[in-house]
Amino acid sequence: MSKGKPPLNLIAGIVIISVICVLVMGAPVFTHYNPLEQYPEERLSTLSKAHLLGTDRFGRDIFSRTLYGGRTTLASSFLALVCSLVLGLLIGLTTGMFSGTIFDIIVMRIVDVLMAFPFMVLAMIITALFGTSLMHLLFVVAIIWWVPFARLTRSIVLQVKNETSVAAAKVLGANTRAIIFRELLPKVITPILILATFELGTLILSISALSFLGLGAQPPNPEWGSMLADGRAHFFQAPHVLLGPALFIVLTVLGLNFMGEGLRDYLDPYEIIKL
Amino acid sequence: MEDKTILHLQDLCVSYVQTGHEVSVLKNISFSLKEGEVLSLLGESGSGKSTIAKTITGLLPPSARIKSGALTVAGHLRVNLTQRAILWNKIRGTVLGMVFQDAQLALNPLFTIKEHFREALITHKIGRASDVLPTAANLLKLLGFTEPGKVLSSYPFQLSGGMCQRVCIALTLCLRPSVLIADEPTSALDATSQKEVISLLKNVQRELGVAMLFITHDIAVANAVSNRVMVLNEGNIEEVGETQDVFSRPAAEYTQKLLAAHSIRTTVSAPQGLDAKPVIDVVDLNKAYSKNNSVIKDLCFSISEKEIIGVLGPSGCGKSTLAKCIAGIEPINSGEILYRGKNLVHLRGRMKRELCRHIQMIFQDARASLNPRYTAIQLVQEPLNYLNIGNKKSRKNKASTLLKQVGIDDAAKFRRPPQLSTGQCQRIAIARALTLDPKVLICDEAVSALDVCVQTQILELLVHLHMEYGFAILMISHDIRVLRYLCHRIAVMQCGAFCEIDSTDAVLSSGKSPHTKRLLECVYEM
Amino acid sequence: MCKTVFRRLIGAVITLFCATLVLFIIIRLAPGDPIEIMLGRPGDLAIKNTPAYEARVAELHAQLGLDQDMLTQYGQWLKRLVSLELGTSIHTGREVSIEIAERIPATLMLSLAAILIQLVSGVVFGIISAIRAGKILDHVIRLFCVFFASVPAFVIGLVLLMFFAVTYHIYEISGDANIYRLWLPAITLGLVSAPQLIRMVRANILSELGQTYIVSAISRGLPKKQIMRHALKNAMLPIVTMMALSFTNLIAGSVVIESIFSWPGIGNYAMNSVLLHDYPVIQGYAVIMVSVVIMANLLVELLYMLIDPRLRNRSRLERGLENE
Repeated sequence: MSKGKPPLNLIAGIVIISVICVLVMGAPVFTHYNPLEQYPEERLSTLSKAHLLGTDRFGRDIFSRTLYGGRTTLASSFLALVCSLVLGLLIGLTTGMFSGTIFDIIVMRIVDVLMAFPFMVLAMIITALFGTSLMHLLFVVAIIWWVPFARLTRSIVLQVKNETSVAAAKVLGANTRAIIFRELLPKVITPILILATFELGTLILSISALSFLGLGAQPPNPEWGSMLADGRAHFFQAPHVLLGPALFIVLTVLGLNFMGEGLRDYLDPYEIIKL
Repeated sequence: MEDKTILHLQDLCVSYVQTGHEVSVLKNISFSLKEGEVLSLLGESGSGKSTIAKTITGLLPPSARIKSGALTVAGHLRVNLTQRAILWNKIRGTVLGMVFQDAQLALNPLFTIKEHFREALITHKIGRASDVLPTAANLLKLLGFTEPGKVLSSYPFQLSGGMCQRVCIALTLCLRPSVLIADEPTSALDATSQKEVISLLKNVQRELGVAMLFITHDIAVANAVSNRVMVLNEGNIEEVGETQDVFSRPAAEYTQKLLAAHSIRTTVSAPQGLDAKPVIDVVDLNKAYSKNNSVIKDLCFSISEKEIIGVLGPSGCGKSTLAKCIAGIEPINSGEILYRGKNLVHLRGRMKRELCRHIQMIFQDARASLNPRYTAIQLVQEPLNYLNIGNKKSRKNKASTLLKQVGIDDAAKFRRPPQLSTGQCQRIAIARALTLDPKVLICDEAVSALDVCVQTQILELLVHLHMEYGFAILMISHDIRVLRYLCHRIAVMQCGAFCEIDSTDAVLSSGKSPHTKRLLECVYEM
Repeated sequence: MCKTVFRRLIGAVITLFCATLVLFIIIRLAPGDPIEIMLGRPGDLAIKNTPAYEARVAELHAQLGLDQDMLTQYGQWLKRLVSLELGTSIHTGREVSIEIAERIPATLMLSLAAILIQLVSGVVFGIISAIRAGKILDHVIRLFCVFFASVPAFVIGLVLLMFFAVTYHIYEISGDANIYRLWLPAITLGLVSAPQLIRMVRANILSELGQTYIVSAISRGLPKKQIMRHALKNAMLPIVTMMALSFTNLIAGSVVIESIFSWPGIGNYAMNSVLLHDYPVIQGYAVIMVSVVIMANLLVELLYMLIDPRLRNRSRLERGLENE
C-alpha cells in the first residue's frame, strides 16, 4: 500500500459529493420556494433568475423540488445500500469462514437463483403485482443488492484464511472473533468500500430509470425519479423540466464514480517496466 | 583459444527513487567477462546483484536512475547506459539472454512451449520456419529431455518447476546469445531439481561456449558453478577473483564473514540423559486433503523434553503439513497427537487453546506472520491478550523483557513490521512465541528465507534461548546445513512418512535409506 | 472435463427450477384473487356476469387447479411453461407466447447491435488506454468512461432523440423496427455499456504487463507488438465471463431504451403490460428472461472452459520424461 498524494479524481469526487450533500441537506437555505406549491401562471417556464431551473407543468419550482427531492432519493438509496452492504458482509464472512459446509452450499445456490433475476425484471414483476412505489423498489433492492458484497467478501475471506498471519494467530491462541476482527476485516474493508461507492452509483441510476418509466416513486412527492416521470410527458416541448433531476443524478453518480476510481488508484497502483 | 572479453561494464552507478528520496543501490561497479567463462555475482539480498542484471538488459523499473555506466558487449556494441533512448532490441535476446528465478511464471501460461520457441526464432529471423521445431528439440535434448516432442506440445502448467527452468534455459539459448545471465535460476527449486538444473546448465554452457553471469546468494552453488566470483555487499564490490582463490584465501572481511556463516558447525552438544518421557507423541497420524491425496501416512514418532529434532525432506513431502497438525491448526483424519500424555486431537475451543499454548510455531515468511498494523511490542503481547493472562502492566513488562532477549533494542520496539528487516521480524516472531512459555517450539523453515549471515544469527539465538528456557524444538527444513548445526536427531521424510530417524551424526554420515543418500548427494560442499 | 460440463448443466437446470419456483411463489403472494388477476378486474370489463365470462372463469379455475394443493399447482404451471403455454394477454386477448415471439426479433436486433458496439469500442479504447497509460489520451478516455457510466441511459437517449429527431429531423419517430431506425438506440445502449468493458480491458492489460512472463519476453528482445500479443491473449480471457454479466445489464437497459425510442421489442411490450396490469404477459416475460439469463451464463461458463487450456486438460507431464 504505497500512499503518496491522493489522486485528483478522489479529491474531485469527494468535493462533488460534499457540495451535493450540502445543497440537499441545506435546502431551506438555498431556496425559498415550497416544493409542493404550484404557480399555474408560470408553468413550464424555462431557466430564469426567479426560477433557477425553471418550473414544471404545474408551475412548481424545479430547483427547490430537486433539492428537497434529493433528500428522499439520496437518503433512501444510501440507507438501502448500507443495509445491503452489512447483509452482504455478514453473509460473505460466514460463508467464507465456513466454506464447504452445507450452509455455504445452500447460500451459494440461493445466490445463483437470485442472480438469474435481473433487477429490472424483478422490479417489474413486484410493481405489477404489488403496486408501484418507491418502497417496493427498495424492497427489491433489499432482496438482491447484497449479492456483490457477499461474493467479494467471501472471495477475500477464502484467500486470507490460508495466509500465514491467520495461521500464526491461531497458534497463538486467537479465537474466531479475534481472527475476524484483527486479520479478516481489515483486509475486507477497503475493497468493500470501493465496491460500495460504485454500487451506490448503480443503485441511484437503476432506481431513477425505473421511476422514469413510472414504476417508482409516485408524484407529487418531489423525488428525482418521479420528477423525471413527470417531465417525460412534455419533454419535447419543454426539455428543461428534466434538467434539474437529471443534472443532479449525473453529478451524484459522477462524484461517486470519481471517488471509487480515486480510492482504487490511491490504494492499489501499478508499476510497470517501460517497453 | 584466445580469451576475448565478451562483456565489459564500466563505472555503473544506479539508485532508486522511493517516496521522495534517492537510495543508492550500486556504487561504481566495473567488471569484465571473458568468452566462455562463468562469473558468479555473489551477494545477499539488497546487495544489488539483480540490479546489475536488470541494468545491462534495460529491465529496470521506472523508479530507477542510472547515474553513470558504460557497457561494451561482443567487442563492438558500446552503450552509454545513462542515455534515455537505447536500442535495447539489438542487445536483448541475441547478445544478452536472461533466465529468471521463477521459471513457471516466466512462461506465458496460454502459449505452448512450441509457440514460445517459434515466436522467438521467427522474430529474430534465425533459420527458416521449418527449422524451428528441430532446433528447439535439439536444445531440449541437450537439457536432458528424452522426449522433447511431448514437452513442446505442452503448456507451462503441465511441467514441474525444474522442467520449466530447463525449458527457459533452452528458450534463451536458442537465440544464440553471447552471454547468458542467470538470475538466481535455482533458488525457487528444491534440492534435487537444483542439482539437476545446475549440472545441465554447466554442460550446455560448456558445449555451446556461452559466457555466463551467474547471480546467486548461495556460496556453495557459486563455488560449484563458476570460474571467477565477484562478491557484492550493499552495492560495492568486496572482492573479485578466481573462485578457488577467493574462497580458500578470502581477502575481504565480508567474504570471510560469508564463509564463516556458511560453514557453521555444531557447538551445541546433546543434553545429558534426555528425559525418557516424551513431550510430544505422534501416533499413527494420517492426513489426506481428499480421497486420493494422502499427505501423511501412519506417522509415528516422539519428541523428548528439551530435545532438538529436525525433519528433512524435499518440498511436497508433507513436513509443513506435519508441523501444522502438531501445532493444532490443521485437522487430521486419524491418529493421536499427545502432549505430555494428553490427546490434543479432539479438543475444541477454550480447552484446546489452553493446552495448545504449550506448542508454539514460527514460520518461513516472518513478515507475513506479523500483522503489519501493530508495533513490535504490541505484537509480542498478542498471545497474552488472546488468553487473557495478567494485566496490562505485566504483559508490557514481559514483552519488553523478551524483546530485549531476542535482540530488539528499545528504538525498534515501537516500529511496525514494514519498517523492520526480515531478521528483526523473525526475532519478534520468536519473542512472541515464547510469551506463553511453550514447551515445544516448531520452526517451519524458519530460516530458509533469510540471508546466510542473518540465518546464523537466528540459529545462534535459538540455541541460546533453548539453553535458557529448555523447550524442545521441531525444526523443519530442506537445508541440511541448518539441521547439522542445530539438531540432536534428524528424521528424513518422504511422501508422508519417515524413511529414517536417527541421531544427526548417524543420518548425515551414513544415511541408511536410499532417499537420504540422494538428498545428501544434492548438497554442495565447499 | 466432461464431468465438469455435466455438473454445470445439472446446476443450471436446478437453478432454473428454483427460479421458476420463486416466480410462482411471488405470483401467488400477490394480493387479490388469482383468477381476477388473470382475467382483469371485473370492474374494468363490461362482460361481467355474461356466460362467456363465467366460462372463462371456470376454464381458468380448472387450468390453475386452485382447488388443489400448492405443489400440484406448481407442477401444472411448470408443465404448461415447458410446453410454452404462457397464458393469454388480458389486453389483447391473444396468446402471450405468440405476442412475445413476434417481438423477440426486434429486441434481438437491438441487443446484438448494442453488444457489437460495446465490444468493438470496449476492446479498442481499452487497448489504447492501456498502451498510453498515464498519458493524456488515457486520461481523456477514462474521463469519457466515467462520464458515460454516470449518465442514465434514458437521459442520453432523450438528448440524442431531441437532437436527431426533433431538431434535425434525421431520425424518424415511429413504432417500426427496421435497419434505418436501429442505429440511434443501438449507439445509446452501446455508449452506456462500453465504459465497464473499457475499464476492465484496461485493468486486465495493465495487470498482465506487470507479470514475469512479460519481462521474460522483453528480455528475449521481442518487439512491442509481440509483447502486446502476449498480454492481450491473457487479458482477454476473463472478458468472456464479464460479457455474461453485461448481458444481464443489457436486458435492463433495453427496456428503457425500447420505451424511449418506441422500439417494438419485448422490453417495451413488458413495460406497457406492467402499466396495464396485464399479468399473464409479465409472468411470461419474467419466465423467458430468467431462462435466457441462466442459459447465457451457462454458455459463457462452458465457452470459458473451452478456451482456457488450464481448465481444458489438467494432466501434468510425468516426471519420467526427464533424465534423472
